[in-house]
Amino acid sequence: MATEAGRAPLAAPYRISLRSRFYGLGSIYAKTMRDSRLAFIVAAGLMGGIMLVVSVAITKAYPTAESRVELASLATSLGAASGIAGKAVNVGTMGGYVQWKYGSFFLLIAAIWSIMALSGTLASEARGGSLEFVAASPFGKRRIALEKVTAHLTAMTLTVVIVGFAAWLAGAAFATLPGDAIPVQAAVGYALWLGLVALFFGGLAFALAQFFGRAVGAGVAGFALFAGWILQGYAATVPAFTPFALLTPCAWTADHLPLAGQYNWPSLVPTAIATAALLAIGVEAFARRDVGAQQAVRTPRLPRPLRGLRGPIGRSIGERLPMTLAWSLGLGIFTLAMAAISKSLADDVAKSPDLLKTFGQIFPSFNITTAGGFLQLMIQLEYIAVGFAAATLVSGWASDETSGRLEMILSTPLARPRWAILSGLGVYVAIVVMTAIMAVCVGLGAAAAGSDALTPMAGTIALGLYAAALAGVGFAVGGWKTSIAAEVVALVVVMTYLIDLLSPALSLPDWFHQLALTSHLGQPMVGHWDAGGVVACLVLAAAGLAVGGWGMRRRDVGL
Amino acid sequence: MVAIIKTEKLTKSYGSHRGIVEVDLAVEQGEVFGFLGPNGAGKTTTIRVLLDLIRPTSGKAFVFGIETTADPVSIHRRVGYLPGEFTLYDKLTGGETLEYFANLRGGLDRAYQASLIERFDLDPSRKFKEYSKGNKQKVGLVAALQHKPELLILDEPTAGLDPLVQQTFFAVLRESVADGHTVFLSSHVLSEAEKACDRVGIIREGRIVMVDRVDALRDLAAHQVELRFTGPVPAAEFERIPGVSNVTAEDHVLRMHVTGPIDPVVKVAARFELADFVSREPSLEETFLAQYGQTAVEVANHGH
Repeated sequence: MATEAGRAPLAAPYRISLRSRFYGLGSIYAKTMRDSRLAFIVAAGLMGGIMLVVSVAITKAYPTAESRVELASLATSLGAASGIAGKAVNVGTMGGYVQWKYGSFFLLIAAIWSIMALSGTLASEARGGSLEFVAASPFGKRRIALEKVTAHLTAMTLTVVIVGFAAWLAGAAFATLPGDAIPVQAAVGYALWLGLVALFFGGLAFALAQFFGRAVGAGVAGFALFAGWILQGYAATVPAFTPFALLTPCAWTADHLPLAGQYNWPSLVPTAIATAALLAIGVEAFARRDVGAQQAVRTPRLPRPLRGLRGPIGRSIGERLPMTLAWSLGLGIFTLAMAAISKSLADDVAKSPDLLKTFGQIFPSFNITTAGGFLQLMIQLEYIAVGFAAATLVSGWASDETSGRLEMILSTPLARPRWAILSGLGVYVAIVVMTAIMAVCVGLGAAAAGSDALTPMAGTIALGLYAAALAGVGFAVGGWKTSIAAEVVALVVVMTYLIDLLSPALSLPDWFHQLALTSHLGQPMVGHWDAGGVVACLVLAAAGLAVGGWGMRRRDVGL
Repeated sequence: MVAIIKTEKLTKSYGSHRGIVEVDLAVEQGEVFGFLGPNGAGKTTTIRVLLDLIRPTSGKAFVFGIETTADPVSIHRRVGYLPGEFTLYDKLTGGETLEYFANLRGGLDRAYQASLIERFDLDPSRKFKEYSKGNKQKVGLVAALQHKPELLILDEPTAGLDPLVQQTFFAVLRESVADGHTVFLSSHVLSEAEKACDRVGIIREGRIVMVDRVDALRDLAAHQVELRFTGPVPAAEFERIPGVSNVTAEDHVLRMHVTGPIDPVVKVAARFELADFVSREPSLEETFLAQYGQTAVEVANHGH
């Protein structure tokens, strides 16, 4: 008897309720939007808010036409030394100043978000096991990946629309001089550039994650982002950087400065094509590979002695080591490049009285006629990076509890405070390793440039101290609730940066500026140490760990 | 007998959510104690309080005579624990995971560890994240058993294990008890608890509703008796017997539930010509369901 496999009988029509749709339970797309709502609020709020604040700041700091002219001439005279700030075009206008000083900063925020979201959207579901349920529903794998990518594209689009709107609004509401208004075309051009370039790096992470796993995908894309940004910034100074800089959209779109009134729309086309191609590769690779396989290509394992099987400190180090090495590599290359070019840039500045005057006015507390002084100026940016490194290390420390394995660990003869302190010490060891690698890199760069290597190598310790202090804050919070420890550290990093950045620009009281720990760290790259800051870092690190251990002793585990 | 586990009005509440309420338990040395209850009844909460992973809102818990909040490390030194749900280190192999937990305990008998790995048919060379659910459970079981603990606390220990490995697990459990060790296990698989446990406690909505020997609990539930007569069914004769209920007649077959001694039923039945007499002991499952006010599973459903 022949059996015919026909279509399944049609079920009664099912309508997804309005409530389900509203709460993001109506589709994979909606659920992904729901899951990314916090990240969207943070990214859009942060960038939109900063756009408004810095726009107001320029009108207060440079209120007259004369001061704007002076600002523009100073910025233009920087030339190649402008570095990662990019080309100085129409800096005397509100839009031109924001584009020059903060344009790339917005890109870093948007791109890091895109990298984290797109590298993790499928991997985190696979790790949690929910991907199998989704894949078993009546959707093909290609559609699942497409809906998830589309959700991120939607969130990114909304974010850049908010940033563009904030730029237009700033021009409309706070313009004080002719040329301050930011036309709709400029706002759209900036939003489009921001979204496309950020999605390029997110797409790179997404495509690589399908083959090598989330960590490698995110790591390589993050490295490409920072490398592209730095190499493009200094390509004019160091011509050897140019071929590498040309590999990323940072170089392709270098002439597209819409807030400054300079447009290069065709430069966005290759970025859009490359982004679409990377996303398509990621979708197709996911559709073709096994569900649940988090990486198609095996990455090498750590040598056995480094896996940390002897106890909590070793285990903590072993778990954190891949992340530590990834951060060390990225930060090390940055410090090496900065150290290598700082002497030639310092010499250029020293030879030009105009340039010297310019820098002196913008950065009055830095002696940039020396390699160390210039390096110190560059290294200020690295405080943000090591802060985020500390946040990721704290996140790893917290994962013992947030992932559920702490229950088994604490069923052994290991007291809770002991676990908190020993595994926290493992994080400090990871920070020491990271700092040591950065120190070696900065030493190599300085030596290659023929300048003093030992002083900046010792100065790198300040970065490690700052990271340790932040980790201490994370441990203290973790003693109360590990699930938010890393988020609090990241928030402290952002707040510290904003306080340090905006206090002078907005003429805020000195005590407010002093709230930023980075304002107490002196200029260690030239050997000027602030003992108060060093002590504050050490106290935060030690007390944070102790408070974390004390908190763990008092509360329930795993709740 | 020495009480290895003892709780006194142990209560844990999670804000407005109920946890456990005034739980009184005593588990003696060398026994296998089954802790039964539906999802959310409070089994895992009780276990986590015993290990001082969470702290009681009121009441006390003692393990080995030590109050759990006073010196948990001394307790943990003598306990092997398998959580109901757990994750371990994704990047470590099963063997490395077991080595790490052995090191946390200051070392152990390697030969015994190896024998457990072999008996549970565990491949220790694979990364933890690559294991199936059952193999992850095997890693957890070996981690709990490998240091020969005096007290095993196991939350749903057979979840995900195939029948052969389950047999191995119960064999290991018997060996452990034969060595004088104590087992406290929670389970949903009542036939399994019936087979493995000396005593069981039933927890319902956070409160202990019954603790007794498995045999004694069975006696509380009705025997299901089925009599096949060669002639007419004398239903009225049986309805009068104390302890007899649910009497139903169908053709020549009489079915009834009998609570308490069955002797009066046998004596009445002997006065008639019988073709068959079937009396089935209640399973723990039926006892359990009866405790929850639900209908016990019918004999026919078990293919008796």
